[in-house]
Amino acid sequence: MKKQTAAHNLSGRELDFGTLRTIWAYSRGRRRAASQCFRVMLMLAAAPSLAVTGCRKPADSAQDISINESIAPRPVHTGTEAISFQLTNAMHQPVTGAHIQVEGDMSHPGMAPMFADAVEVSPGVYKTPLNFNMGGDWVVLFHITLSDGRKLERQMNVKGVESN
Amino acid sequence: MTEPAALSSAAKQERLVDEEEEFLEAQPFDLLAVPVIGPLLRWRHSRTLLQIPLLAISIVMIFEGLLGPTLSPKNMATVLTWVHFRGALVVAILCAGNLFCLSCPFMLVRNFMRKWIHPRFAWPRRLRNKWIPIALFVAVLFSYELFGLWASPWLTAWVILGYFAAVLIVDGLFTHGTFCKYVCPIGQFNFVASTVSPLEVAVRDHEVCDGCATRDCIRGRREPSSPLVILQRGCELALFQPDKVGNMDCTFCLDCVHACPHDNVGILGRLPAGELMSDPHRSGIGRFSRRNDIAALALVFCFGALMNAFGMVSPVYTVENWLERTLHFQNQAGVLAILFTAVIVVEPVLLLGLAAWITRAWAGVKNSWLGVTVRYAYALSPLGFGMWLAHYGYHFFTGLYTIVPVTQNALAEIGWPILGQPQWTLVGLPKTVVEPIEFGFLLLGLAGSMLVAWRLAQDDSEKHPMRAFAPWGVLCVILFLCCAWLMTQPMDMRATMLAG
Repeated sequence: MKKQTAAHNLSGRELDFGTLRTIWAYSRGRRRAASQCFRVMLMLAAAPSLAVTGCRKPADSAQDISINESIAPRPVHTGTEAISFQLTNAMHQPVTGAHIQVEGDMSHPGMAPMFADAVEVSPGVYKTPLNFNMGGDWVVLFHITLSDGRKLERQMNVKGVESN
Repeated sequence: MTEPAALSSAAKQERLVDEEEEFLEAQPFDLLAVPVIGPLLRWRHSRTLLQIPLLAISIVMIFEGLLGPTLSPKNMATVLTWVHFRGALVVAILCAGNLFCLSCPFMLVRNFMRKWIHPRFAWPRRLRNKWIPIALFVAVLFSYELFGLWASPWLTAWVILGYFAAVLIVDGLFTHGTFCKYVCPIGQFNFVASTVSPLEVAVRDHEVCDGCATRDCIRGRREPSSPLVILQRGCELALFQPDKVGNMDCTFCLDCVHACPHDNVGILGRLPAGELMSDPHRSGIGRFSRRNDIAALALVFCFGALMNAFGMVSPVYTVENWLERTLHFQNQAGVLAILFTAVIVVEPVLLLGLAAWITRAWAGVKNSWLGVTVRYAYALSPLGFGMWLAHYGYHFFTGLYTIVPVTQNALAEIGWPILGQPQWTLVGLPKTVVEPIEFGFLLLGLAGSMLVAWRLAQDDSEKHPMRAFAPWGVLCVILFLCCAWLMTQPMDMRATMLAG
């Protein structure tokens, strides 16, 4: 008479209890291995995140530079608009000779950023056209390289650019 | 008289469908029989293998969202979530099936937790429906507009974290796949969307199931010597394979595939949206026509697609300003709530109610007004999916390459610029290429909805199928025109909380 514990594998062969125990023990071992593998993967996944936490670039070193920006006309409409801004130092003196790249980003990810290089129109005053190619909220970034080589970045929010 | 001449157009149509069904039954495509992919999916740990990368990406997204750049287009959390994840999800559903639920990272963490924490409670009987996930789905859409989630990496990270927490709490307390079946709003989105997928987890040969006594596909495969020990769990969402119809509630977890001792469950090809054309009893669900909650879910899915797209184009601000002036409302949440109520509640009630009334009056359908509305509500799922595809597909394809500079930037920020400096000019496919694809998706959705409505009308009224179909056909065309109009509007994406 067949034992009640007997079972069949997928090919239909009968398996006795001893064999099943061996398979069970083997599969437990594999499960443990899988569990360890999972933990390792988890640590590997966490590693870049910890790196992100610990290794962020420090804030820019030109805290004494301030920017006073304006955009005209208001409200801003889609199309090319002029952005002008003034760079001053801690003594409120104009900062001249800086190279400034202006970048316009939509608030939504996945959209093409707009770039333009600013021109110094008078001491410390810079101007550039920027193409706002769609309506919505924009963020304008000023990537500034000072004449002494220091680099800094400033940001301006342009809310509610209206579609034409 | 020759035989073809004697056939009515309806009979011809029926014969064509029968021939197609016979063909599919004779030679069903089975993904599990495809070299490389098939053996990989049959492997017991295949799901874990797919979940691990997504979990790793999720963890990186959380940290990047909380600690990375505050500007949305430069942050991996927002770019991956709102451009790539959503787009890849709908494209995968269109091309294959519910692949996101298959590789869901939340379930990996839940399974890990359940090694130590064993839930003891059953989900309350009164809550075993889709009303909670419908409310959550609407809440997600509402929050997305109100808080401008797409513009905030920080909030996006918290949404992901909140999701992990919700999964652990719900499935830590309640048994089986409670979170997936009765809570998860993403899951419900996937369930409705995958009714139009070309693949389905299904039984290969029903005769084999007739002779099966163990029902491992739902009970799980047990250790022969101690039946309480489960070697391979069965379906956690209460879908008994022999009675399962379609993709509703199926997470593609493949537990049934692994549990079946007869190797009788496959991932089979089928007619997309075919499951919406009939109303059989479905395991774990019942009949669609008796499930008002699932019909409401299908409607929220369809009209939510319109609302979600409407929130991203210029006219929405004209309407909002008009509402503010007319109602003397200063509260943005209130204005948005009115808009949501109008689009997701009032509009479907009016449009479907009118269509159902005409169907009853004109075609003589004897079902109740609510019964007709519920029955035909499912027909709008393909069109709704077409709209989601067009919307999310637009962001996905036009922003396809943005993941490159974002990754470059993330690595550069941690002082490891192995991929070089960020190439911010890398964006995606040009709009001239993407826009025709969008309209293609919408047309596919329209065709699917019309076909489903026509088949339902044929069943409802043998004498006047055209009369039963006409109001629903007109409704589908109206909704299609709304979708097409939305797609031609200038984009205008405003977030209440700008980064920085």
